[in-house]
Amino acid sequence: MTEQTNLSGTEKVKQASDALRGELSSSLKDEITGAIREADQSLVKFHGMYQQDDRDRREERAEKKLDRLYTFMIRLRLPGGLLTARQWLTLYNVAGENTTGVIKITTRQTIQLHGILKAKIKPTIAAFNQVKLDSIAACGDVNRNVICSAHPNQSPIHEEIFAYADRISNRMLPKTKAYYEVWLDQDKITDKKDEEDPLYQDRYLPRKFKVALVIPPNNDVDVFTNDLGLIAIIENNELKGFNVAVGGGMGATHGNPATYPRLGTVLGFVEKGEPTMQLIYEVATVQRDYGNRSDRKLARLKYTIDKYGTDWYREEVERRMGFKMEEARPFHFTERRDYFGWQQNHQGRWYYTAYVESGRITDSTQQAIKTALQEVAKTGKTNFRFTTNQNVIISDVAPADKDAIHAILEQFNVITNTENATLIRKNSLACVALPTCGLAMAEAQRYMPVLTSKIECLLDKYGLANEDIIMRMTGCPNGCARPAAAELSFVGTAAGRYNLQLGGDRVGMRLNKNYRENLDETAILTELDGLFGSFAKERIPGETFGDFTLRTVLATTV
Amino acid sequence: MLAEHKLNTLLALTAGASKEELALMQEHIGKLLAPVVTAQTAAQVPALNKVTIAYGTETGNSKRVATDFAALAKKAGINAKLVSLDQYRLNDLLKEEYFLTVISTQGEGEPPEAAKKFYDHIHHNGFKLEKLKYSVLALGDTSYPLFCKAGEDVDEQLLKLGGSRIADIQKCDVEFDDDANLWFSTILKKLGENKTGPLATGTPAAPAEKKPAGKKAYTGSILANINLNDRGSNKETWHIEIAADNIEYECGDSIGIVPENATPFVEKILSLSRGINAGKQLQYKNETFTVFDLLKYKLNISHLITAVIKRYAAIAGAEISETKMDLADLLKAYPVKDAAQFEEVLAVLNPIAPRLYTLASSPAAHSGEVHVIVAKDVFTANEEMKYGVCSAFLGSQKVDSPLKFFVQKNKRFRLPASDKDIIMIGPGTGIAPYRSFLAERDAVGAAGRNWLFFGEQHFTTDFLYQTEIQNWFVTGVLTKVNLAFSRDQPEKIYVQHRMWEHGAELYNWIQSGAYIYLCGKKDPMSVDVEHTLVEIIEKYGEKTTEEAKEYFLQMENEGRYAEDVY
Repeated sequence: MTEQTNLSGTEKVKQASDALRGELSSSLKDEITGAIREADQSLVKFHGMYQQDDRDRREERAEKKLDRLYTFMIRLRLPGGLLTARQWLTLYNVAGENTTGVIKITTRQTIQLHGILKAKIKPTIAAFNQVKLDSIAACGDVNRNVICSAHPNQSPIHEEIFAYADRISNRMLPKTKAYYEVWLDQDKITDKKDEEDPLYQDRYLPRKFKVALVIPPNNDVDVFTNDLGLIAIIENNELKGFNVAVGGGMGATHGNPATYPRLGTVLGFVEKGEPTMQLIYEVATVQRDYGNRSDRKLARLKYTIDKYGTDWYREEVERRMGFKMEEARPFHFTERRDYFGWQQNHQGRWYYTAYVESGRITDSTQQAIKTALQEVAKTGKTNFRFTTNQNVIISDVAPADKDAIHAILEQFNVITNTENATLIRKNSLACVALPTCGLAMAEAQRYMPVLTSKIECLLDKYGLANEDIIMRMTGCPNGCARPAAAELSFVGTAAGRYNLQLGGDRVGMRLNKNYRENLDETAILTELDGLFGSFAKERIPGETFGDFTLRTVLATTV
Repeated sequence: MLAEHKLNTLLALTAGASKEELALMQEHIGKLLAPVVTAQTAAQVPALNKVTIAYGTETGNSKRVATDFAALAKKAGINAKLVSLDQYRLNDLLKEEYFLTVISTQGEGEPPEAAKKFYDHIHHNGFKLEKLKYSVLALGDTSYPLFCKAGEDVDEQLLKLGGSRIADIQKCDVEFDDDANLWFSTILKKLGENKTGPLATGTPAAPAEKKPAGKKAYTGSILANINLNDRGSNKETWHIEIAADNIEYECGDSIGIVPENATPFVEKILSLSRGINAGKQLQYKNETFTVFDLLKYKLNISHLITAVIKRYAAIAGAEISETKMDLADLLKAYPVKDAAQFEEVLAVLNPIAPRLYTLASSPAAHSGEVHVIVAKDVFTANEEMKYGVCSAFLGSQKVDSPLKFFVQKNKRFRLPASDKDIIMIGPGTGIAPYRSFLAERDAVGAAGRNWLFFGEQHFTTDFLYQTEIQNWFVTGVLTKVNLAFSRDQPEKIYVQHRMWEHGAELYNWIQSGAYIYLCGKKDPMSVDVEHTLVEIIEKYGEKTTEEAKEYFLQMENEGRYAEDVY
């Protein structure tokens, strides 16, 4: 094990935090500020929250001698993205009372709420707790929300896979009771042994740790962008186990060549059940012991595996498990998408996947989706599932209830909106960015819909309106909307400026490349006009946009 | 000695009087006493030269470092002013002597958003800063190609503008604490070497000019006029900074301002005057004015008192039972018959009365300036929404426009000796004198502890002077701050509730000699607060109600309890 000297500030904060308690209780009582103390800002992430401020308002408030408008974002732990109707009703009320009102579906299949004032955090968490929802470990240097293939109609084994998401999330949960003490005023634990944590110890992981489960042939979860990806191996309609891909991650830093996006490397196959659970655990402990703890920009598992080598990582995991992995089994991805509209699973239950622009559930002129989902929830006859492409599935609808649910969706324009949105729009992802994200250099979710309309015009011009191109935008290079795994992506560099990245494949097994830097909108549209024009004319039949650009412009320029 | 009946009359007259009324009485008595001249000789405490520590922060690191250093400097006896660059008044740079900047650098080598205005200002303006002695602490991240670029730019640019470096720029990486401390101890050492120089002694104060008693009229010019409430607030509270040379005042004083009537309103009245010539010259108090100027600058034409309405009724020959009327209302409802009658009306109007505003600035911290807070006064009269004349007038003043005012002394509301503790209770605009007190105690390095109770409607929109209060708290000038935001929860919470919650400690402070101040709305706030104070003395002093009242009265007699309520 490497002795690490020169620990980063965050590492010191974690270790001195008394199992993530820090000074949070005092921070909440500081009357003169809407913020919490500096060290607590790192710790609150482990409780599923970020301190943010409205960057649009900084300058004006400073002139008024007012502090920044600090609020908190809370993200739920929702393994596999499942929410019951009753939980939805609570979520809807909490969102209305304590937040901006927008319910945001994240790219990790959960939901987050923005704009919570410091004084409203505890009531918010208490309300969630009433319906058995929590935000533990939704952010921070721990195992994050576990995601899995969202579409139940994909396979009879979907239920089985979904159960793994829950099981992994629970196994990898921090043992500390700080969440219950700080936010829910529960009694302090008397015996510290009750929260001894063999996995996280007192230092947690060096950085976030993301786990995904996927059922081929649809790579809807973007399995290779995770620290640990589990690819279900199904033989004769039976789940055998998983191929294990390690070391994915999208984040990079502009101007820092030591950082880069990476797709996971398949290490081998492991049998389902306890061997799988053991493997996940030990992949995390190796990263815990060998990950970089002095530079957070180089702390993800992808850098650890590149430093020590794939074989070393596999052997170290095997040594700790006490058994060897098998050779990876064949698998095949053919697509990476949500299935919109009504679908039926093998048991005859119905599912409706509705398109949600940038994952923002809020009533707009196009569709009153927030009201629609509230009305659907009130029937008590469905569940909700969120997809990693920021859409919502109204799920588990009995055949007898389908017409009633359909009528509600129709009434609030959800059906029309889903049917009318173009393929490229439905496939697109954008992160939150301005004004709340502290890392954002450029707009993303506020701008993407506008840019998409202009791109749709260009596609129309060349008869490409039905192209299924995977397009993504982020406000910075940290990669929340998985931009490096898209066929076409825009990564913010400064206000109104983006790097244009091209050449990713359709199914998420090849990264794209930087094609042009610091483009403004006019330059983006000019570039795309040229690219779409030649794509329409020169493509090989059946060739995707990503493959085409790799073969043509990227081959000649790079 | 006053004869008892005279004294009683005087006490009865003054007891229920508002601040404005007291001022008018004082003005009247002052005139009766003229030409008695008293010489004011006491020069102000010579202002120590200041070190300004200005920070430009994105993530809060620069702010934290700057704040720590400001606290250290104060401990070392240096008069340090802490300011965020986005709140820094750029013209002040010309006046700075010792100027320390802590600034971070963003991804592409640019300064943080909060420092952009300052950064552009020093790059695009051709001024000279020959007095300036400065140093830059640059925070950055070596993993970026343009490491500490913004700090370097500021350092070079200040040199180009004629400044001289106290110490070389210190560039710091992500783990900046050690380098930053090194830089600051270098600065402290250099400043210490100068201690026999200007820093310790200050420039000798100019001999105070002897001047006549009574109210000297000043003409200032507006430096800034800022609505302190954020968007979405129910309130509008204007912070107005006024430059005025050689102004003399003390913390606790007020200024009196005679508002002007709004031109559209004057024009409306002229249109109802049956054709009077607005340029016609009229005599008024031994001076000559045009009709327009009389209406604009001299005569009160809104909220007429009953006596004036009666006089109007006599001239117009009408029965008028309404009250709460302005001159336009009267002219509309009971028109004058011709211009001559309008002139008669002008003769019976009262002059515009001055409005008094407690100063929010301190002579030591804001030399050559006075600051006031003005809450926009909105009310409805006869189902119409109207604004208070003076608050509307001041709220609309643009930067650089001239403003006449006089200083109104308030000897009953003064800071105690610098080692005494003070408890300041001031919801709403009642915060004004405490900003003055705190800035003063900060500037002179007073040792006494300071405890502030402030209240308003909402934390996010109505926390007046939030960033200044935060800076005073983190640098230790403010020992305690307790806040009451009445509408942030279902039940109403006011300052007296916070006082009650902290009753035990409050009583401790009182017992150890603290001075208590109360400023703000007379009714019901001051009544409730006084009541709570007595209750706290009763409970924690284990006294009967009578004893507690007696104790409180004694505090008043000793000058340990002072009110400025309106």
